[in-house]
Amino acid sequence: MIELRNVSKTVVSGTEPLTIVQPLDLSVAAGEYLAVVGPSGSGKSTLLGLIAGLDLPTTGEILIDGEAITSLNEDALAQLRGRKIGFIFQFFHLVPSLTAFENVLVPLEIAGAANARDRVATLLRDVGLAGRAHHYPAQLSGGEQQRVASARALANDPPILLADEPTGNLDSANGQHIVALLRSVNATRRTTIVLVTHDAELAATADVMLRLRDGRAERVPLVSAEVAR
Amino acid sequence: MTFVLRMVGRELRASWRRLAFFFVCVAVGVGAIVALRSVIQSVGVAMTSETRALTAADVMIESGQPWTEEALALIDAAVADEPDVARMASIETATMARPADPSKSVAKVVELRGVEAGFPYYGTFVLQDGVAYQHALLAGGGALVRPELLVQLDVQVGDDIIIGEGTFEIRGVILREPGGQLGAFSFGPRVLIDHADLLATGLLGFGTRAERQWLLRLPEERIDPLVEALQDPLRDEFVSIRSYQRTEDRIATNLKRAENYLSLIGFIVLILGGIGVWSVTRVFVQQRVRSVAILKCLGATGGQVLAIYVTQVAVLGVGGSLLGVALAGGVMAAIPESVATQAATAAGLADLTYGLTVSAVVQGLVVGIVVSLLFALGPLLDMRTIKPLALLRWGLIPAGSRDWTQIAVGVLLAVGLLAVASWQADSWAVGLWACGGFAVIAGTLHLVGQGLVRVIQPLGAGRGFAFRHAVLNLARPGNQTRVILLAVGLGSFFIIGIHAVQANLVTAFSLEIGDNPPDMFLIDIQRDQAEGVGALVADRTGRSPNLLPVLRARVTGVSGATTTLDTVGEIRRRGMGREYTVTYRDRLEENERVVDGVFWNDEPSDQPEVSVEESVVSRLGLELGDTVRFDVLGRELAATVSSVRTVDWDDTRSGGFMFLFRPGVLDEAPHSFIAFIQGPTGTDARATLQRDLVAGFPNVSVIDGLEVIATIRRILDGATLAISIVGGIALLSGVLILVGSVAMTKYQRLYETAIFRTLGATSRTVVVMLVVEYGTLGLVAGVVGSLGALGLTWALTRFLLEINWNPAPWINVVGLVATALVVGAVGVVSSLDVLRKKPLGTLRAE
Repeated sequence: MIELRNVSKTVVSGTEPLTIVQPLDLSVAAGEYLAVVGPSGSGKSTLLGLIAGLDLPTTGEILIDGEAITSLNEDALAQLRGRKIGFIFQFFHLVPSLTAFENVLVPLEIAGAANARDRVATLLRDVGLAGRAHHYPAQLSGGEQQRVASARALANDPPILLADEPTGNLDSANGQHIVALLRSVNATRRTTIVLVTHDAELAATADVMLRLRDGRAERVPLVSAEVAR
Repeated sequence: MTFVLRMVGRELRASWRRLAFFFVCVAVGVGAIVALRSVIQSVGVAMTSETRALTAADVMIESGQPWTEEALALIDAAVADEPDVARMASIETATMARPADPSKSVAKVVELRGVEAGFPYYGTFVLQDGVAYQHALLAGGGALVRPELLVQLDVQVGDDIIIGEGTFEIRGVILREPGGQLGAFSFGPRVLIDHADLLATGLLGFGTRAERQWLLRLPEERIDPLVEALQDPLRDEFVSIRSYQRTEDRIATNLKRAENYLSLIGFIVLILGGIGVWSVTRVFVQQRVRSVAILKCLGATGGQVLAIYVTQVAVLGVGGSLLGVALAGGVMAAIPESVATQAATAAGLADLTYGLTVSAVVQGLVVGIVVSLLFALGPLLDMRTIKPLALLRWGLIPAGSRDWTQIAVGVLLAVGLLAVASWQADSWAVGLWACGGFAVIAGTLHLVGQGLVRVIQPLGAGRGFAFRHAVLNLARPGNQTRVILLAVGLGSFFIIGIHAVQANLVTAFSLEIGDNPPDMFLIDIQRDQAEGVGALVADRTGRSPNLLPVLRARVTGVSGATTTLDTVGEIRRRGMGREYTVTYRDRLEENERVVDGVFWNDEPSDQPEVSVEESVVSRLGLELGDTVRFDVLGRELAATVSSVRTVDWDDTRSGGFMFLFRPGVLDEAPHSFIAFIQGPTGTDARATLQRDLVAGFPNVSVIDGLEVIATIRRILDGATLAISIVGGIALLSGVLILVGSVAMTKYQRLYETAIFRTLGATSRTVVVMLVVEYGTLGLVAGVVGSLGALGLTWALTRFLLEINWNPAPWINVVGLVATALVVGAVGVVSSLDVLRKKPLGTLRAE
């Protein structure tokens, strides 16, 4: 369960304050699939960063499963992410010095998980990369890198998955693969998903859509979601 | 913990090439420390295991004057109480030797020693061709000589040589000698003869410089009591006594001091390496921002991330230190055996086994690891400020408020370096001076470098693309300019500075300064020989020599208005306990000037008056009118201080005397003469004059100033070579830092070059950029090092060496050009693969 209470974000741009996210109340139920859409600069990625505890809101409070993350320090936030949040980036952000296998292994090792290597093997097989496990990111295509990033995000089976334009750098086929993966995770594991995208087609696969414009939010129920299922 | 260790392994696997340079930086410094310490410790072990052989006795009693009855009585009384004591006499003096063959016109100064049968009590002689040493070789006019004398006099075993009034047959060649004066300045090669023969040479005339010795052998437990019993009474007779343990202690102390100072030099090289480590780590952290942000995004805590990289640095520190030990081992193994044998022979040692010592290795390892961690910690702490948000919004690392942890680490670094330096030098004061001096030099170089970079900044607005970008590169974010300037500048500073100081020293010692300087010194001319020597010299050189009457005197007390010094002990504590050569005359020489009081007129006086050199005034706390008591040949003389003089010690034409007496009192006392003359030009004429002087006046010693200069030049060359090696290691560190900096920033440069080439830049443009960038950097480093060296030379010559400062511009220019070329070449060559990489591959990898 994700809850945002009166959350806003203002940064200083040059000498002027610039509000990226206007005060916002938002609640995402466990197992819900939320797509955040809006034009560039509307604050989508900032909102996602706030939910992940990567950034602090200027006002308001963010709760993950009832725990106010805004009062946690960096290390506590890191541990919270390790336990509860998986993150998929538009630019993949794999560690270039680690192989695909090791990139997926890292969150499991941080969490001290048992049978980590078996789990990684399974995850890579699930995303169709069993044969590329020992390749470095630079040796993988963009689609393959994003699949590794997805496997890594799911490694600890997090209850929450945050995805920032996960198909933004992919061709249609690879994009479809990621979309199917997200839907499958949401359906089978009841993983709460917050997806940031400006792709209307991708957004349409979600349960609910949050439209951001000029930092203001508007929640739009998606009937088509039911149809899509 | 497992996660941290695994990540350390993975990180090392991925980045060891980039960090290899870290390794080398540490290794060079540690190698320097371990090698220098090991060599000195090996020498120390060899020396202290043979100290008895070095003194050839348990106890040595020594006097520069003929034994007084009081001194002999004291020694006899003490020895009479010892049941198991053996003693023998020995005499050492510097004198002249020449071949008996009259066709050979050569004479050389030698260190003559006369020993009795039974010598030595400890140690063994090694003679050429395996001849066994026995006193019979000396008895009845035999002599053993060092091999170099055979060459100098063009004689061989079996030939006769003349020393004083005696003729000696060379019966053997000394390769190793027990009881040699260890490390003492030697006037010439050793000649060993029988004690009785030496007494018969007529050399020990009045005023001759000779060391008379009693060598004693006695049971171990009796050594200290005997030395203690005789020490104080003999001191008042100006006789020294020391046991072989005292020699051992003295050698140990001197070696320890040498070891500590050399290690300090090694430590400074390691600090340069540390600067390299700091620079590598800084760039490394910049390149790791994204990986760290990802790890933090995946749940790694700041502590875990820091632990990964600190452990990595520690592993590299250990690895680099081990490599340094291996390097030191390699260097030691590479020392040719002949060098070790030569060094052992020169030191009078049986043999010298070089090898790494455990204590040197341990010290090197500890210092290497500590310095790596200290220098890397600051940049690594920056990892704490990397936020996972960097993945969403690039480059958002807040500058933040004052970082107390960083400040604490800075303090820790300073204190840590001070502690390590003090440990290496075994002295807080020396550590403080070394660190302080280094900080001042480094700070100055840093500021000068920064200023020069600012000066060339306007060139960045020039029209040429390559030139403009090359200059801009020097100031781009994350640039290595200041680090390279500091490291290379320090290296060139040391090397240029040391060569310039050497040039100044050689000039100062050279006899070419001034008009008609003396280049030959005649000593021990007896009163009845003065006329003959004067005539001979005048005949050969066309000028009558200025014969200076000299006596040996000691200060025994002062009765002054403000200072009263009653005993020799009090005088000794003021640093004036040694024996002085004094003279008398009725005028001032050209190199003297009276600065206080009035110099006497040419009327002799029977009231003793003395003119003192100005440094004596402060040492003894003298005032005009005070009375100074002297012991002149056992006779007490109380003289009134009537004037104070300055002496220009650089001008050696008339010599220089601390105490100058008014004629009248000393004229009739027995004394000898010395003369400073300008010898004839031409080697043959000089050799003939020396030979004829010695033939006619056997006890007169002739020291050829030109040979002394040559010796000093050789010693200086040796010292310069040693210091140049250290400077070379410093410069090597600088070049390594340069290579490392280029390697570290190459990834950024590859990307930039790929973009430039995609946009149409040709290979030629890229090469010009590289040449201009590194050429400028080298030039600036050379200018910084050169200016620093000028300052160093000025300060050292003026304040430490107290000689005239003669700038040697060509050394600075050569140093500057060489630095620019080295930096330019290294920079360009290390960057060449930027040209080989295809732009597309680089851009895709990004």
